[in-house]
Amino acid sequence: MERFVRLIPVAALAFIASSMADAQAPTAPNRSPGGWLNPDWNKPPITNANRKPAPRRSLTGMWGPADGPGAGTQAQGVPLKPNNGKPENEPPYTPYGLQLYRSHHALEGFDAVLPTEDNDPRNHCEPLGVPRYNHYNVRLTQIFQDDFKVVMLYHYDNRWRVIWTDGRQLPKVVDAGVDIGGEIREPRFFGYSVGRWVDDYTFEVQTVGTMSEDRVWLDSTGRPISDKAHVTETLRRVDADTLIWSETIDDPKVYTRPWETMRMSLRLHDPRTDIQEYYCSPTEQENYNRLFGSGASSKGTP
Amino acid sequence: MKTERIVVLMTTVGLLLSVQLAAHHGAAAFDVGKKVTLKGTVKEWVFSNPHCLLSLDVTGDDGQVVHWIAEGQAPNVIFPAGYRKDSFTFGDQVTVTVEPVKNGRPMGRILGAVLANGTTLGPAQSQPTTSTTP
Repeated sequence: MERFVRLIPVAALAFIASSMADAQAPTAPNRSPGGWLNPDWNKPPITNANRKPAPRRSLTGMWGPADGPGAGTQAQGVPLKPNNGKPENEPPYTPYGLQLYRSHHALEGFDAVLPTEDNDPRNHCEPLGVPRYNHYNVRLTQIFQDDFKVVMLYHYDNRWRVIWTDGRQLPKVVDAGVDIGGEIREPRFFGYSVGRWVDDYTFEVQTVGTMSEDRVWLDSTGRPISDKAHVTETLRRVDADTLIWSETIDDPKVYTRPWETMRMSLRLHDPRTDIQEYYCSPTEQENYNRLFGSGASSKGTP
Repeated sequence: MKTERIVVLMTTVGLLLSVQLAAHHGAAAFDVGKKVTLKGTVKEWVFSNPHCLLSLDVTGDDGQVVHWIAEGQAPNVIFPAGYRKDSFTFGDQVTVTVEPVKNGRPMGRILGAVLANGTTLGPAQSQPTTSTTP
């Protein structure tokens, strides 16, 4: 029996490996028909032999999750605290934050509901806002920069975001939105972002002035985020082909303390890669619900 | 000893399923782990967001035709697995393996397909991940 027990992890790993290999086997080879380059999700790992030094103060490029296209999906919530019911992964909710979470009926996570019972604003094609765009089907993300700003183009719903690097100050959060030099400005889905180079390879982004908690969620499992959130992201270029994207949330309205949500490794892709559209269309959403979603989640007899 | 072997098998199967689940999306409506193989005639393939949909007429042993609908993830998600706009066309004879919904309706999500030209494709779902992230 003892020998049998020792074999359990070996057998389990063998099963897992065969499962992964089987699931990955159908992946289409990278092709470039007519010059339209397909995404390459089968790049060789970065090793000492092929590692190239990071360029100084540059984030420019087309970036995809280094762990594969599925790694950016984040269906089970923010990666560092997946919503799986384990106490250690419970965010530090305030009483109001917990009340908000319980009012959110998500299609994903430990408390997932059926599609006909959910109230995810995504299903009405509402903008997801920052930080949820960082946690929703992140695949190929393009970053451009000039002397004044860094711009991120998110794949999902063709959304873009500006992070100012020209030295302007981060606005002050007030009840009505943000205070910029005595003027009150409105909350925004993408908030107000400023960035600075901490060193030649580490870029830090601060974001405030995001949308209120009745309009946006933090992740696909219904974790809340409010208009009092202060989001800190770091993008650390560890070599030419690798960017580590981290995020910490400080939102005293819904969380008792700051907590880290993500530490995602991104891999540089060929800048000529063609990106398929991945949009939210109310018409197509309605069509999907009519043909499949409503019937699939019905509790009635067939 | 027989019971112990069963425990070992269940452990490994459980771990196997947990890996596969990690690659799936929105599992609440599906009878996770169950598989149904369908041999039928394609009526329509909707290559669209938020999910691709395959309509299929399947004739049972009793001669009755059942209209199945199988979903895949969005086009950009299933593209790496080889799914294309013309993977299925009207009248194609295909074999599709699905994970059915819990409520017994003829619906499911695509776990694999053998196309009319013999091409075999894997799950029309999010691709599995490796774990290199720090």
